[in-house]
Amino acid sequence: MTKKKQTYKDSIEELESIIKKIENGDVDIDELSSLIKRSAQLIKACKAKLRDTEAELDQFLNDQDD
Amino acid sequence: MERLTLLELNQTIKATLDANLMPTYWVVAEIGELRTHQSGHCYLELVEKSNDKVIAKSRATIWSYTYRNLSVWFEGMTGQSLKKGLKILCNASVQYHELYGFSLNIKDIDANYTLGERARRRQEVINQLQSEGIFDLNKELRLPEVAQNIAVISSPSAAGYGDFIEQLEKNPKGYDFNIQLCKATMQGDNAAESIINSLLTIHNQGPKFDLVVIIRGGGSQIDLDCFDNYELAAHIAQFPFPVLTGIGHERDETIADLVAHTRLKTPTAVAEFLIGGLLAFEDRLDLGFSRLYHLTKGVVKNQEQSLLIKEQNLKAILTGTIHSEENRINSYGKDLKSLVQQRFINEKYKIEIKEKALKLLDPENAFRRGYTLTTLGGKPIKQENPEIGDQIVTHAARLRLTSSITDIEKKND
Repeated sequence: MTKKKQTYKDSIEELESIIKKIENGDVDIDELSSLIKRSAQLIKACKAKLRDTEAELDQFLNDQDD
Repeated sequence: MERLTLLELNQTIKATLDANLMPTYWVVAEIGELRTHQSGHCYLELVEKSNDKVIAKSRATIWSYTYRNLSVWFEGMTGQSLKKGLKILCNASVQYHELYGFSLNIKDIDANYTLGERARRRQEVINQLQSEGIFDLNKELRLPEVAQNIAVISSPSAAGYGDFIEQLEKNPKGYDFNIQLCKATMQGDNAAESIINSLLTIHNQGPKFDLVVIIRGGGSQIDLDCFDNYELAAHIAQFPFPVLTGIGHERDETIADLVAHTRLKTPTAVAEFLIGGLLAFEDRLDLGFSRLYHLTKGVVKNQEQSLLIKEQNLKAILTGTIHSEENRINSYGKDLKSLVQQRFINEKYKIEIKEKALKLLDPENAFRRGYTLTTLGGKPIKQENPEIGDQIVTHAARLRLTSSITDIEKKND
C-alpha cells in the first residue's frame, strides 16, 4: 500500500497539531520522543520544499531573461 | 435657224465664261474625292452637302508645281493632309475646255479656314458627347491600384509600341506586366473603325484586363483626325475599363485624349505612368509594413515591460512567502524545542519531588535521628499480635538488637 504523498499543507498541519498536543501536555514522555522525531522530519521536508520552490522560481525567472 | 457645231458652242461657252467671270474666286467646298497622279498633279472632286446630300459638285485640279508646295505647307499648318472629307476654302479659277469640259483650277488653299472648320467640328463633337452625358464617364472610373493586365491597341510595327514594351520591361523593380496587343490601324480613313473593333474585341474578353492603352507614335504627326471621330470618342468614353492614351503628338489634345481616363503624350510616358502606379503602390505597402512593424514592436515592448514588472512582483511575493514560511517553520522548531525542554524540566522536577519523598520515607533516615524499628518474625509489629516471651528484633542506625518480650501493654487510642 503506497502512502499518499504528503503536501506542504499536510506537513504544516501535522506540525501544528503536534505542537498543540505537546502544549496541552497530554503526551507521554515515551510518545514525545517519536513526536519530536516526526517533527524534525516534517520541518526538514517543509524546508526542502521551500528551497525547491525558491530554486524553481529563480531558474524560471532567469530563463525568461535569456 | 442658225446652227452651231458643238465645238462652236463650247467655244462660245468658254468665251462667255472668260468674259464674265472673275479671274479667281474663293470657294468653300468639301473634298469629295482626291487622287494624285504619277505626274504629280492632283485631281479632286469638290462637293457641297446639305443634310448629307450632295447638292453641288465640280471637278478640280491642282497642278503639280502648285500641289508640291501647297500640300506640304497645308500639312504643316493643319497637321493633316488634303484628303476626302476635308472642308477647304480654296482660291480657284474657272476653267472650261472645249474637249474636257468644266473644272476648277485650284491655285491656293486657306489653311486657317480648315483649322477653324476643324475646331468647329471638334467642338460639335465635344458638345454632342457632353449633351449625351458620356464625356466624363471614363474619367469617373477608378484606376485599379495595381494595373498589370493591360490591353494595348496599337499597330505592332509602330516604333511607339516598341518603346512602350521596352520601357515596361526595363522597369527598375522587375514588375511583371501581362500585355495583350490588339492590332489596329492607327491612321487613315479606317483607323477609327479599326480601333473601335479592337475595343469591342477587348470588351468581349470580359474583365481580364485592368485597363486599355491606345498608343501610336513614331509615325508622322499628321492624320490624327480619326482621334477626333465622334464614334471612337463615344466608345472610349463609355468603355468599362479606364482607357489611357499615348497618341504621340504635339498639337492640341484630340477628342480621344479628352474623353480618355488619362491622357499621356507618348507611349513611353504611358509606360512610365503604369510603372509609377506600381511603385506608388509598393511604397504604400512598404510604409504600411513599416508602421505595422513599429506598432507591433511597441506593443510587444510594452507587454514585455509589464510582464517584467509582474515577474518581479511575483518573485518578491514568492520570496516573501517562502521567507515567512521559513520563519514559521523555524518558530515551530523553536516552539517545539522549548516545549520539549519545558516538559523535561517539569518531568525532572516531578522525579525530584518523588525522590525527596522517597528519601523521607527511608527508615535509615529515622534511624539516624534516633528512631528504631522493631520487627517480629521479619515483619513490623503493628501487623502482628506479639505474645510475652516472643523474640523481637530492634533495628537501629548501627545496631541490631534481639530481645524477648517481657510485658505487653495495650495502648488505647
